Amino acid sequence: MRTGDYKQTYGELVALIDSPPVWLWSAVLLLALIAAPYLLNSYALSLLMIILITVTGALGLNILTGYTGLISLGHVGFLVTGAYAYAVLVSKYQMPPLVGFLGAGVVPALASLIVGAPSLRLKGLYLAITTLAFSCIINTVILEMRWLTNGARGIQIQRPEIFGISFDSDAAFTYLCLAIAALTLLATLNIRRSRVGRAFVAIRDNDTAARVMGINLHAYKLFAFVTSAFITGIAGALYGIYLSFVSVEGFPFLLSIEALAILIVGGLGSALGAVLGTILIVLLPEATRLIFSLFSAQMDAAFTTGAQELKSMLYGLVIILFLRFQPRGLVGAWHDIKRAWVHWPLRY
Amino acid sequence: MQYLIQLLISGLAIGAIYGLIAMGFAVIYKSTGLVNFAQGEMTMITAYIAWTISTTVNGNVFVVAIGAILAAVVLGLVIERLVMRPMLGEPVFATVMVTIGLAVILRSAINFIWDAYPHGLDIGMGRGIVHLGGIGVRTGQVAVIATLLVLLAAIWAFFRYSKVGVAMRAVAADDRTALLMGISATKVHALAWAASSVIAGIGGVFFALSYDLSPAMFQLGLKAFPATILGGLDAVPGSGLGGLLIGITENLAGGYLGSGMKEVAGFAMIIVVLMIRPFGIFGERDIERV
Repeated sequence: MRTGDYKQTYGELVALIDSPPVWLWSAVLLLALIAAPYLLNSYALSLLMIILITVTGALGLNILTGYTGLISLGHVGFLVTGAYAYAVLVSKYQMPPLVGFLGAGVVPALASLIVGAPSLRLKGLYLAITTLAFSCIINTVILEMRWLTNGARGIQIQRPEIFGISFDSDAAFTYLCLAIAALTLLATLNIRRSRVGRAFVAIRDNDTAARVMGINLHAYKLFAFVTSAFITGIAGALYGIYLSFVSVEGFPFLLSIEALAILIVGGLGSALGAVLGTILIVLLPEATRLIFSLFSAQMDAAFTTGAQELKSMLYGLVIILFLRFQPRGLVGAWHDIKRAWVHWPLRY
Repeated sequence: MQYLIQLLISGLAIGAIYGLIAMGFAVIYKSTGLVNFAQGEMTMITAYIAWTISTTVNGNVFVVAIGAILAAVVLGLVIERLVMRPMLGEPVFATVMVTIGLAVILRSAINFIWDAYPHGLDIGMGRGIVHLGGIGVRTGQVAVIATLLVLLAAIWAFFRYSKVGVAMRAVAADDRTALLMGISATKVHALAWAASSVIAGIGGVFFALSYDLSPAMFQLGLKAFPATILGGLDAVPGSGLGGLLIGITENLAGGYLGSGMKEVAGFAMIIVVLMIRPFGIFGERDIERV
């Protein structure tokens, strides 16, 4: 008797969606997301927007850190470059928003070549520190290029209008974010099961061995940087539109940490993990506030005065606890639960 | 010329502070093989504790100094015991990410416990002016350069000659073999965290003496990164010298190229250096085998 979900051919192993229930649940989720803007109030809708934008960014970082194993502490640099590219093209030079989005992808991708090239010789911690350096340098460059970026004053952004469809309302803008997030998810899932994605994972697992197998390390590492920066830049543009204002202060260094936290909490190297991690991290402050307000009014007051501090303390704590007790993240926990469910009452 | 010398001296003074914090990084790397991303925050906490002591005991220098050092030791030991020791044997990436989480927690804790306003650490000394060849220098700045040089020599000798120093190097090189040789890795790690916390804390207190305490002080850690990378992560005295180099570069760039360049000069410098020597100026090249 067949007792599990077996894969017998290579094609089955790399299939995008491997079983009918997954098809069903994906469709249900998609329908729920399409219905959401009509059902949610404006606050919940803004949370949904943030989740969709953050998912896009987290998937971008996942290509670099999760698939290829190159740790980046400077992803906020790509995010802010993308936001500025969109703002400058659309708000300053009145280009159509589609050109703006293209620019928001291409400009960070080009910038990633500049940071990627010197990083090819570096690994692990040294690379992390170089990317950190990049994000600091980018901020200074933006502040200094006043003729293009208005320096510290920032740039206003309007909600876009594409092909005559206005994305001015929150519901319409949520659909735009949803479309981009879904496209990104499909794209990264497809990258992972392609030749390129397998090369990325080979580099992550053992770069010397990957090289011996004939993988061009330099080309693939640069490609990982470029793809990751492209996606992150588009997430940056979306975030800029959401804030309706782009400035260096709108993109603090904490976002880089938050992105890494999302990947760790979700499960490094998994697209599903990036999505689950985003949902948990974005909703974490909300959940905490809810719990605090249940306990007492005094704790609620402490939360409102020191909200920012408590929020970032939570990030730190969640990162540490996950690394300590569930290093494979939510995806790992999900696999454990599934295994326990299938094999119960046996242990394995 | 006067301007150049002025820039050089203030560069050396701030560079010595970077150097102290950079040595904190290097001590932990040299004995545990980790980069502690929370170093800047640990520096900051020690400086804030020194400030709190100075305001409650009316600024007696010795009380403040001893109190700050004790606090730094306790901080280092507590972090090692509670946060780092459970991660022993985990991959380096995971352990380093833990220090990032720690950095976020410490930074917010500082904002939560103390307020967000700048404070001056006034212990009745360090702000006097001495004249060296017509250029006024704060006594605190002279003192921090001297402290850095003394610590540089002491730490170099410690790792080179003392039994404990050799044990620490052994643990970093290969902790399992070191354990087989009868070295207690946990003791070595605890010692390294305490020592690193104290060295970086001294840098933080000197910074508070010459400049001001503020929640933005954790950026000292970011500034000390280039220093320790420049010198080589595994070269403790090299990191100290790297600090001086970064301090001077930064000040010259700030003085001649504009204040925006001051912020990035150090980072620009390490990118160039890492392209030529990916293991730092004084670092050792590690050979990899499959």
